[in-house]
Amino acid sequence: MARGGIRGRGGMNRGIGRPPYKVKMFLPRHPFDLALCESSFPRVKPAPDETAFTQALLKRNVDLSPTASEQTAILNLVTKIQTVLDNLVVAPGAFDACQLEEVRQVGSFKKGTMVTGHNVADIVVILKTLPTREAVEALGNKVKEDLKSLMKSEVVTKGEQLTHTTNERGIEISNSFACVRVMVTTLHHNIRKLDPEIHLDQKIMLSHLAAIRHSRWFEENAHHSSIKVLIRLLRDIRTRFEGFEPLTPWMLDLLAHFAIMHNPSRQALPINVAFRRVFQLLSAGLFLPGSAGITDPCEGVSLRIHTAMTLEQQDICCLTAQTLLRVLSHGGYKHILGLEGNASIAKEMSVWDGVVVSPLDKAYENPPEKKDGEEEDEDMEAEGDESMETIEN
Amino acid sequence: MTFITPEPPTNNNSFSPCQRQSDPENDEKMFLFLQAAAAAAAKPAQYTGTYQANATGYQATYAQPAAQTTIAAQPTTQAKQANSTTTYSGYDAALYSAATMYVAQQGGAAQQKSGGWQGYKKGGIGAKNMRTKAPPKPQQLHYCDVCKISCAGPQTYREHLEGQKHKKREAATKMAASVAVTNQNRAGNSLRCQLCDVTCTGNDAYAAHIRGAKHQKVVLLHTKLGKPIPPQEPEIIGGPRNGDSKDDEVDEQPEPDIQPVGQDYIEEIKSDDGKVISFNCKLCECRFNDPNAKEMHMKGRRHRLQYKKKVNPDLVVDVKPSLRQRKIQEEKMRRAALREEFWARRHYNMPEDEDDRMYWEDRRRYEEEYMEMCRRGNLGPYPRGRPPFPGGAPPYFQGGMPMARRTESSDDRHVMARHSEIYPKEEELQSIQRIVSHTERALKTVSDQLAESTKPKEGQAQQPPTPQQPVAAPAANAANATPAAAKPVEAPAVVPKPESENKSAEQQQQQPKEDGRDNQLFSFQQDRDANRILKGVMRVGHLAKGLLLRGDTNVELVVLCADKPTLALLRKVVDLLPPALKQVAPENTYTVTINAAEAGLTVVGDGLTVLVQLTSPIMREQEAASGGLDRDVLARGKCLQALAALRHTKWFQARALGLHSCVVIIRILRDLCQRVPTWSPLSSWAMELLAEKVISSVPGQVQLSPGDALRRVMEAVASGLLLPGGPGLGDPCEKDSPDAASGLSAQQREDLTCSAQYALRLIAYRQIYKVLGMEPLPTQQKVFRRDRSARKRRRSGGEQADSESDSGKMVKTEGTETTTETPVK
Repeated sequence: MARGGIRGRGGMNRGIGRPPYKVKMFLPRHPFDLALCESSFPRVKPAPDETAFTQALLKRNVDLSPTASEQTAILNLVTKIQTVLDNLVVAPGAFDACQLEEVRQVGSFKKGTMVTGHNVADIVVILKTLPTREAVEALGNKVKEDLKSLMKSEVVTKGEQLTHTTNERGIEISNSFACVRVMVTTLHHNIRKLDPEIHLDQKIMLSHLAAIRHSRWFEENAHHSSIKVLIRLLRDIRTRFEGFEPLTPWMLDLLAHFAIMHNPSRQALPINVAFRRVFQLLSAGLFLPGSAGITDPCEGVSLRIHTAMTLEQQDICCLTAQTLLRVLSHGGYKHILGLEGNASIAKEMSVWDGVVVSPLDKAYENPPEKKDGEEEDEDMEAEGDESMETIEN
Repeated sequence: MTFITPEPPTNNNSFSPCQRQSDPENDEKMFLFLQAAAAAAAKPAQYTGTYQANATGYQATYAQPAAQTTIAAQPTTQAKQANSTTTYSGYDAALYSAATMYVAQQGGAAQQKSGGWQGYKKGGIGAKNMRTKAPPKPQQLHYCDVCKISCAGPQTYREHLEGQKHKKREAATKMAASVAVTNQNRAGNSLRCQLCDVTCTGNDAYAAHIRGAKHQKVVLLHTKLGKPIPPQEPEIIGGPRNGDSKDDEVDEQPEPDIQPVGQDYIEEIKSDDGKVISFNCKLCECRFNDPNAKEMHMKGRRHRLQYKKKVNPDLVVDVKPSLRQRKIQEEKMRRAALREEFWARRHYNMPEDEDDRMYWEDRRRYEEEYMEMCRRGNLGPYPRGRPPFPGGAPPYFQGGMPMARRTESSDDRHVMARHSEIYPKEEELQSIQRIVSHTERALKTVSDQLAESTKPKEGQAQQPPTPQQPVAAPAANAANATPAAAKPVEAPAVVPKPESENKSAEQQQQQPKEDGRDNQLFSFQQDRDANRILKGVMRVGHLAKGLLLRGDTNVELVVLCADKPTLALLRKVVDLLPPALKQVAPENTYTVTINAAEAGLTVVGDGLTVLVQLTSPIMREQEAASGGLDRDVLARGKCLQALAALRHTKWFQARALGLHSCVVIIRILRDLCQRVPTWSPLSSWAMELLAEKVISSVPGQVQLSPGDALRRVMEAVASGLLLPGGPGLGDPCEKDSPDAASGLSAQQREDLTCSAQYALRLIAYRQIYKVLGMEPLPTQQKVFRRDRSARKRRRSGGEQADSESDSGKMVKTEGTETTTETPVK
């Protein structure tokens, strides 16, 4: 209300001096990115030899890749479940609790960015009907039955006994080697018909739909194997450094793609350069408020992916990257990769070749009036979209 | 008429439905007739009275002549009448029906056998009973024909008649006419039990009704009373009224065979012993005890609608176009269409109205700016011939409008506020300007004197010249006679490309000037006198770059000599300078001291110090050869430094001055380097290079506002630009561009990066004032935007004029121009 008033007044005031147009246009700016302005910063001395670093990166990647037995286990399970679900799409027969529209594999299994020790594959099932809890339950039972009949000829060892659970995302089917998450969602035009009391959560349904878009985008844009290697390394780093926890797999995908492909030549950068660039970008505040960040290529409206993090998380993520960048530049890559040492380097003072690397403090503070200002600004950003939407409706 | 007379009293009431629905004219007769009949039957007085009251009440209210509707709403007789060939008028119909009933009564069981529903009823037991047992007191059965119920006694009957339920029902019957109309509109196949006057929505519902206790009771009662029982076939409501098309209608719209849906959503509620006692439909939130009811519910329309809404949006549920719904639907469609049209129109017009206007607005402003830039002497939007971004701007940046970010952000306001705090005061600038100008003019005098003295004896530059002040002074004074007019307001606008020092010196010759306030070389040469030893003087360092901050007291000048500057020459100049200064500025007192360690001399006055260094381009060329040869020559390192300072100044004027926000940010950074110990190791030259490179390397040549520019510099350092292993800062003013920041140790680089990283996040989280070392400004009140910024705007406008086009001159003599030029931001 107040804002409307202000706007009106502003309009009048501005009407005197200059034509009225939007007072505040939020234009996020892309942060400094050395790879994009290398011509301004020619190397004054030859770049240091990074063979050892590159080797360490590749070795770490090998360590992180799933083992052959893991791959077999997950592939077996996925194939079976995919078969069962495909049958349900093609010939539902007597199964009428829900109608299946489409079954798709998504996530790290599909993308080929799995990390060892986390043998989980994701499948998204799009229902034509609405995803009531009963329907999911019924689907779970049906899959269970069909799997049983599919496997009745096999000899099932103890470890391969399947356990089925249902949760708010869908069904989880696992044995002791692998796990397949069957995530349920519904057609896009059904989403707004969802009622939280009867159906599965709308946000989760949307996220499952987004997962499909993500895997599609990945297939088309990020098939370069350097990207996959980098993603795997980043995923590992994310689990080891607390500050990176808020980064979602999708953010890591986009970040890795950006770091490798987004350069003037449009050719993939070498892995050591790209790895360092990730930290340079994050240190330069790629994921800080006011930065253009990375725009989600799978959302219609321009959405900066880092806004999914809270302001505090953005700060912590940035400061962690900043500390690690300095460690990296003093030759501490083994600690960052987890080849030696531990994750304390992000939080404690460390000495490298006589250079003291000290950790950073948070810049984010949360006094009430600051918070207001912050929110006001966020509102501003969102406001444009919001008003657009109301106009359209 | 023969049929009428002997009417059994118990049947009196059975007329009422017929009578109610007959014509008003006939009502009168009917009424009389009924009265007669009642009298004949010797009914109890109060009974008749009640009835009469009813009848009159009816007469009064029911004034609508509706012969047609009578038939429609007359369930008991219609079936028969439809079969008969003649059409009866209302009155005759009533009589006829009464007669028929009577006959039927007499006919007893025989006739009732013809009805279809004796299957249930074992053929008119009630009638038999009545016949056998109850002829003496037939009034024991009190039957309300409206409600189709019997009462145990007169008392309860009376109460019933006065009760709510009866009244309601009576009213409903009165409304029968309008109901019929509504029914007509209802296309769905409703089935109606003629006996109970109950409308059912489908075959199943009808069957359930026929099986139900209520219907059985009515049948029993009717059989008992010996009243005619209409055929079991349901009357179909909603078809066309004319009888012949009725059958087709039924065939055309057969009851669809509906599959029950949503079995999964009906939970069975079991009693303790595991017996199912009731069902609960989770979709519709209703419960039923009967499995049949459950089945019915699952086929029912309401349930199917819920199922469609909550489970399967594709389920087809036939629409039930009741009048009201249809109206609502139509209204909805109409509104939707209107809205659509509105938006279509709006969308069509919008580019014209909104987007276009904004676009053209931006465009206009851009062009204005461009023209302004050209007017001030910059040759184009990118005057410095910066190489375009390799490979073109990446698509990420193409969306952004380069000119869009013009409104001041909070960061901008803070930076500009801080900038105005550190920017020197007018008086300071003037006093610095004064001492520098005096020194320059005095040096020129000295140069002239030296030149005079060497002229007669060529090649003997070393010899001290005889003072010839009286000769030189008038000339110098004459040259100074028009200082106010010739004040180089316009001159600095031309930012020349970096050129060789000699050439630019020659250029300056064409325009004689009295000092070096345009920050270009102030040449002493007049008519190509090749022998002049002191060729010219130039301001260097912060003074020439316009980077002086408040409180700065040291400024530097460099005097170019024709040959290697020697100690003897320096001494000579130191000797000659004080009288020259006295002559130039008689009212000021300056002390001149020799500073051989810096290869120059210092002029001190007004608390300010001017360092004048002597150097020569030759110092560079002869390199190592000169090493130990000439002991008299001034310290080579210092001379080279002075030369470098000259080049730095030229570079700065060429690159940084025209760069939007760059000078402001360099001033801010200079302040930072002075304030924060972590930053002090960063040399001024390295810092200038860093800022210029970072700000000029914005992809897409976007101009940055001051706040953004500062943030970008911090981003660059935070991303490890200065860290070991980084690219380093190539020095464009030296051979092979070495690292300008090579003096930094690894730890210093680390600390600088660390500090910048923290500063960057402080900026991102709106604490830029902490980086700038100032108090936070009050948050901007948009309502009072103009008032608030009036003071600041003038100032920042003046600054921007400086930084964008001027060569950083220190004296803002064009105060009036500044105010008028204030850009409307």
